[in-house]
Amino acid sequence: MRSKTVLWLALLSVVVTAFLFIFVPVWLIKPFSPQTPGDLATAFALKSWSPVVTELAAILTVGMTVWLWRNSKRGWSKAILIVPLFIVMGCVWFARQNHFEWMFNPLANSTYAKIDQTDFVDDDDMLMTVEINGESAAYPIRQMAYHHVVGDIVGGVPVAATY
Amino acid sequence: MVNGRQLHFHLAGINNQNFIMRDEETGSWWQQVSGECIQGALKGAKLKPILHDELTFAVWKRENPNGRVLRPDPKILQAGEYESADWEQKVGKMPVRVSQELDNTFEPRTLIIGINVNGETKAYPISALEKQSPIIDKLGGREIVVVLGDDKKSVRAFERTVDGRALEFFVRPDVSQFEMTDAETGSVWDFTGKAVSGELAGKQLTKISVLKEYWFDWKTYNPNTRIYNLGNL
Repeated sequence: MRSKTVLWLALLSVVVTAFLFIFVPVWLIKPFSPQTPGDLATAFALKSWSPVVTELAAILTVGMTVWLWRNSKRGWSKAILIVPLFIVMGCVWFARQNHFEWMFNPLANSTYAKIDQTDFVDDDDMLMTVEINGESAAYPIRQMAYHHVVGDIVGGVPVAATY
Repeated sequence: MVNGRQLHFHLAGINNQNFIMRDEETGSWWQQVSGECIQGALKGAKLKPILHDELTFAVWKRENPNGRVLRPDPKILQAGEYESADWEQKVGKMPVRVSQELDNTFEPRTLIIGINVNGETKAYPISALEKQSPIIDKLGGREIVVVLGDDKKSVRAFERTVDGRALEFFVRPDVSQFEMTDAETGSVWDFTGKAVSGELAGKQLTKISVLKEYWFDWKTYNPNTRIYNLGNL
């Protein structure tokens, strides 16, 4: 085989690997699908390694792209080299994202209202509430069903309110 | 807090329709409903549950006039992305697709009150509580009482043994603010579990954590759960 063909195949497998490290965990832990403990272990391992793996893939891809670019004469085969580079860079970026927080933005700086200033909750709305060391805090369900997790310190105790 | 270290959690995934959170500090994954670490460096660790309530604003502010309420994020509020008031009804119609075998005692999304006393667990369907409150029961070797608030939404559970004597309670149906009376002394108790008048005035029942949950999720994490039967009332 010509070295150029070999390099094209290598480039393809690097891109596919990077893509799988991104796509498989997203697929396994998607909502409204069943998960087995094995699925979770796989998703966690791939997700944990994805930043390093995609970076390595990016370095290899850039190297191979440069070589193939120099050794390509036809314009279209140069142009097509953009595609794997684009996909791998996308993977590098996604490995550093939490796509669940795209849909449900985290509450970066939680602020609280006294009861007489609470005009955003109706009397029959449900709240999750805690009382620790004499301090009472409430987390409206309608907000919690969106954010799902809010960190707080109540009565000196760090708590994670989750719903 | 785990091993003296404060963790910060983020929504990170879904496991059989209960969400997974990831901590910033170690990147480990935690199961929301159990507080247990399922993957990563802290695997096997467990967050300490905190006694909490799920109450209507009306009931909570009556009991906690100096409390504070989480403000909505103005951007998300404006975009209309927060859940609507009929959120519970909408979720109730969503499909259940999980890897575990479903127990068909109830429909998967039947709302129940889950209680754990000394490792013994029991599910009380909300519909049973709506028909019969208080529910007088025994769980994990303790005498307990489960009550529905005057708002017909808030639920609390207490140990009903006071000074070594188990009390039987009756809820007064004809009052606007929750009141229950014990058969033994006729003392009147409020929704916080405190005796406000009568022989036992000033006594406080010990609160027990209750978890409002879907039947399928409760059964997954509490496979040996018992079920409260309303009987032939």
